[in-house]
Amino acid sequence: MSDETVRMQRHPTDDLPAFALGALDAAEAREVETHVARCDTCAREVAAHREALFDVAALAATREPPAGLRTKIVLRERGARGVGTATWTTALRSLLARPVPLVVPVALVALLVIAFAVVGQTRRDADAYARALAGVAEGRVVALAATPDAPDARGALVIPPQGSPYLVLRLPAPPSGKTWEAWVLRGQAAIPAGTADANGVFTVVLSAPFAPGDGAAVSLENAPGVDKPTKVVLAVQKT
Amino acid sequence: MRLIERIAAGDAEALGELYDRYGRVAFGVLFRMVASPEAAEEVTQDAFHSVWRQARSYRAERGSVRTWLLAICRNAAIDWRRTKGKRLERETMIDAAFDLTAEGRVDERVLARLRAERVREAIAGLPAEQRDVLGLAFWGGYSQREIAARTGTPLGTVKSRVRLAMAKLRERLAELDEDGGTRGRSPRDT
Repeated sequence: MSDETVRMQRHPTDDLPAFALGALDAAEAREVETHVARCDTCAREVAAHREALFDVAALAATREPPAGLRTKIVLRERGARGVGTATWTTALRSLLARPVPLVVPVALVALLVIAFAVVGQTRRDADAYARALAGVAEGRVVALAATPDAPDARGALVIPPQGSPYLVLRLPAPPSGKTWEAWVLRGQAAIPAGTADANGVFTVVLSAPFAPGDGAAVSLENAPGVDKPTKVVLAVQKT
Repeated sequence: MRLIERIAAGDAEALGELYDRYGRVAFGVLFRMVASPEAAEEVTQDAFHSVWRQARSYRAERGSVRTWLLAICRNAAIDWRRTKGKRLERETMIDAAFDLTAEGRVDERVLARLRAERVREAIAGLPAEQRDVLGLAFWGGYSQREIAARTGTPLGTVKSRVRLAMAKLRERLAELDEDGGTRGRSPRDT
């Protein structure tokens, strides 16, 4: 009988509570983990211990997390996941392995210089946007989702305890002759709530009444005064 | 699509929704484990970043999302303390953790007050030596061996206390569920 067979047949029942608690030494934990990964009986037991521990953990939830923590967590990951790392590195390795004419590396260097400049500005905007949201002292912050028409757009609706809600936006300059327009979404209706021709990080105070549960959106318009959004770039249906 | 699947697919707003559900518990646990609001905020961000990176490896058949998240939070706190935490903070924090059973109201958004009271009673009902090892392991992040060294208790005794404490805790929480105590959410709600 192999060691592996013996390990699987002997359930580490006595160690499961400590394993669930994270109180085993590293070597013991690895051994139990190997068993649990392949043993449904022990896995169920560990899961049950962990549910009990969650009840204990919930007792600690007596303190309000800092305002803006949610936004920081979401913003950190926004746009962070593209192609999987393994695929990306494999592709890069494959690309570098190919023989290339001299003009290609020269062009790549030029491209890199331009890219660094663009990335630098984008990074500065991203930092400014994060700082703007982190500076929200009171109120609720609801992130707006970017649509496929503007995947790099960023926006959040800030609902202060008093005063008008406003949007914190990070958008490029609108194309010539066009404008950004804010909307309050109520059920199926969209109510115009202000326009802006700005770019970078800026705010738009909603000029339309905003009720609890309403959503918000930003669209690109040829001119203010249209009845409904033409090309939505950011939206949250409900708050 | 379930929340964790949306996170695995790269939906950052889904991560925000997970935070809406469990951020308060996560922050509360981490505040107790690292003993400062600034550090707790930093470690909470790190923990949710780990959730983001590891979401594809989550297996529902191995436990609920909330217990998976809790394990990630506790590991993040232990790592933080190893690299940045001060020993003094750790000692203070553990002493404070024992006061948990006497603490005030728990927010009803996280756990119904009645259940919180009953959970607190279940912990308070454990023999003191079992409650102590549970506190040292759970809030202190100590291993059984470290607890034995710290308290001057034979390792075998510590192991027995951990085993008995967990068994009694589960038994009392199961009685609570049978009595109709309110769980915050179903264990597999995400």
